[in-house]
Amino acid sequence: MKEDNRIIIPSSLNYLREVDEFVEEKLQEQGINPSLVADIAISVTEVVTNAVCHGNKNDPHKKVFISLKIDKDQVTVKIVDQGGGFDPRHLLNPLDEKNLLKEAGRGVFIVKSLMDEVKFEVVPNNGTTVVLVKKLSEII
Amino acid sequence: MKLSSRELNDLVILEPKGKIMGGPDATVLHDQLHEYINQGKRKVVIDLAKVDWMNSTGLGILISALTTLKNHQGELKLANVTGKIQSLLTITKLVTVFESYDSVDQAAASFK
Repeated sequence: MKEDNRIIIPSSLNYLREVDEFVEEKLQEQGINPSLVADIAISVTEVVTNAVCHGNKNDPHKKVFISLKIDKDQVTVKIVDQGGGFDPRHLLNPLDEKNLLKEAGRGVFIVKSLMDEVKFEVVPNNGTTVVLVKKLSEII
Repeated sequence: MKLSSRELNDLVILEPKGKIMGGPDATVLHDQLHEYINQGKRKVVIDLAKVDWMNSTGLGILISALTTLKNHQGELKLANVTGKIQSLLTITKLVTVFESYDSVDQAAASFK
């Protein structure tokens, strides 16, 4: 379901492309630098993937809510799932030599590298909220 | 992501296009690669010239291709890595894992 600056999807990665198109279209409408659009889009797809797979555990009855706030100086994206709570503190270090060839486990690390602020609000058994902030000072 | 491929003598060149982000993308390249391995192909170049960006799922797909080929005594090289992907490879240290070249020709010439 799409509203003005919000999209709600069922817990399936088949909707990931739809989320990306929604986010990129909204950012492009505001003339935001394509490189920043890509950073935000990559980060949103990472967090939505976690929300679907680790938060909602692919439960088709649960949804993921993505909302976008575009201000003059920053973009804020809020991603909320309805899962049991995803704890970002217990992640492996993807830069550790023994983890380099692992196929998964880099998502949160990449998001933290690309975004200016990343906040996790975990409510046990009541979902995870992730807030991403990207400053727009680099706009040309 | 869309995927096309071509063969150049004993070399396979995979040409993904668009964004690699997971969902249905996750199996397309893997399935195509296995088809070529089953045909006895062991030298593969992934040409990233037309990939806008990828997320960690995309990086996982590249790692899967690399390890699958190594397990079959094959080799994988990357060509035309675009700026956004290059920076992801750098921050994740995967730049130390993949061999990458500025063109498909250079990647092709690097095989023994």
